[in-house]
Amino acid sequence: MADSSPNVLLSVQNLKMHFPIRKGFARKVIGHVRAVDDVSFSVPFGETLGLVGESGCGKTTIGRCILRAYDPTHGAIHYQNASGQIIDLAQLQGRELISYRRELRMIFQDPYSSLNPRMTVMDIVAEPLRIHRIAQGKEIEDRVAEILRKVGLRPEYMRRYPHAFSGGQRQRIGIARALVLDPRLVVCDEPVSALDVSVQAQILNLLQDLQAELNLTYLFISHDLSVVEYLADQVAVMYVGLLVEVAPTEELFQSPRHPYTEALLSAVPKTVPRRNPKRIILKGDVADPANPPPGCYFHPRCPYAIDRCKTEAPALREIAPGRKVACHLAEQLSLRGVDTG
Amino acid sequence: MNEITTPLLEISGLKTHFFLDEGTVKAVEGADLIVRPGTTVGIVGESGCGKSVTAYSILQLVENPGRIVAGKILWQRPASAGGDLLDLAALKPNSRELHAIRGGEIAMIFQEPLTSLSPIHTIGDQIVEAIRLHRPVSQEEARDQAVQMLQRVGIPKPQERLDHYPFQLSGGMRQRAMIAMALSCHPSLLIADEPTTALDVTTQAQILELMSELQNDFGMSILLITHNLGVVAEMCDEVVVMYLGQVVEQADTVTLFNEPKHPYTQALMRSIPKIGQRRRGRLDPIKGMVPDPYNRPHGCCFHPRCDKFVPGLCDQQEPPLQKLKSGGMVRCVLYGE
Repeated sequence: MADSSPNVLLSVQNLKMHFPIRKGFARKVIGHVRAVDDVSFSVPFGETLGLVGESGCGKTTIGRCILRAYDPTHGAIHYQNASGQIIDLAQLQGRELISYRRELRMIFQDPYSSLNPRMTVMDIVAEPLRIHRIAQGKEIEDRVAEILRKVGLRPEYMRRYPHAFSGGQRQRIGIARALVLDPRLVVCDEPVSALDVSVQAQILNLLQDLQAELNLTYLFISHDLSVVEYLADQVAVMYVGLLVEVAPTEELFQSPRHPYTEALLSAVPKTVPRRNPKRIILKGDVADPANPPPGCYFHPRCPYAIDRCKTEAPALREIAPGRKVACHLAEQLSLRGVDTG
Repeated sequence: MNEITTPLLEISGLKTHFFLDEGTVKAVEGADLIVRPGTTVGIVGESGCGKSVTAYSILQLVENPGRIVAGKILWQRPASAGGDLLDLAALKPNSRELHAIRGGEIAMIFQEPLTSLSPIHTIGDQIVEAIRLHRPVSQEEARDQAVQMLQRVGIPKPQERLDHYPFQLSGGMRQRAMIAMALSCHPSLLIADEPTTALDVTTQAQILELMSELQNDFGMSILLITHNLGVVAEMCDEVVVMYLGQVVEQADTVTLFNEPKHPYTQALMRSIPKIGQRRRGRLDPIKGMVPDPYNRPHGCCFHPRCDKFVPGLCDQQEPPLQKLKSGGMVRCVLYGE
């Protein structure tokens, strides 16, 4: 059931990514880590899908599967290219795949480890142009200068090395490298998590401006709900390799329908002193993706769990237009959202 | 607020500098703060503002080539240790008093438990060591106390966990183990350096809740260092805002969030995306970036980024930290008398 409406840029269907656990001298496979276990979602053209969840829930793995840094175990990644054809990225190999890597780019979390310290800014940003043989000679320099200006860096600095730049500037270099090939989809993997708050706001504004200017579609991966709320049109919440809720941003924050979403929203420290009514404190730890509990993965921590949750895994189902929830009790529960007062 | 209680810890005019080949980094250049018994004081600021170095200075844990060059750190020792007032800044880092105070009277927990716990010793050995350093108890008694502490911080099956190594625990459990170790000697002050920064939000909520509970039980004070204004709003009674090594504002939490005085505090509050405020246009970032520590701006160190900059005044003289009628303090010429 591929979502083939014309304005969907990316549609992920039943994506699974299992990593084998090997043990012993013969490296025998003794189990699998189900990092991503049957995930489906779609991103409309020009919009931002926020992917939130705690560490280890598989959000980065999804990003890497889409860029085919990993070979997915199962599933399809339907991508609509510039001429309107729908291509399954999960099936591409070799040369074909490389040409799509021009259109799908990634911005990384850590601006310190994601830039090669031995390359100048010019070399870092120009490398994609060289690899894809898009520009040559003087033209490379012109394109690098242009994109640096766009991300708010002075082109005069392009002969410098990354160590000469601050964290925020380095992140701008990373953004320039991702955008120099005029991509259509950008996977932003925690792009502001390593930055200070005052710089974080600059980068978020920049990402928003560039989206409008260059018609970009973002898959925005983050654990910070306030950042996602600010940037995303739609939000998908993940828990232990599964999507538990997908909804338009405003609705998700105001009236979550999955108990995990409610707990996540409640856990975020609010910047209003002394006004934190009955916060929901989840018991225990996140389930082990190599050995998840039976039934709903969230049931051991869920305050609303019933017997059915212990045996039967809920499917992600549409409960209202644009709203999908994986919870048996989605209709019965009335959950607390964020106080917008 | 209540001026009657004597401060537990009073830092005044603290300066900690690092003498490097490239020049002197004035990591802390005028820190003043007071921690009263049983309260939580937050130090907020961006990376490089000197909040951690201030905390490390209290216990004289600043590494070479760093040195406390000025200021006083007055510590009120508990009655069991004589009850006298001691200037920690004047003590030698390896003095007998500091050894007794570190871990015994003032304990510290760190951001990343995996790097601050020893990877080659079990959790139990590390807690037992901490207890036996400060208390005249036998190995068995110390072990029993360690089990109790682990249970108290909510680690399931503490008997078994005692023999586990840090890598066998999850991030949240590790932080709990570290808290157990820190509190095993019932310190009167707990310094928490970004205790939840490396944790997920739901785990962060658990740990913050645990810290408040333990504070009620043990009656200790907490000095909480964080860059997260949300954590401050939830945990702290008083807040100190630092910028480039200086305390720029100090106030009780409610006042600080409702009426921030210093332009830096105001700008910081505006720049953060707040949950539940669904995008209202653009964020309002602070212009420019934190200056290079080798090259501090002349005058008020915030003036190149300040939107209330007064030419000829702010760039000439460093404003002093002055008391306000509301009880707080601010370092800005706008609030001169």
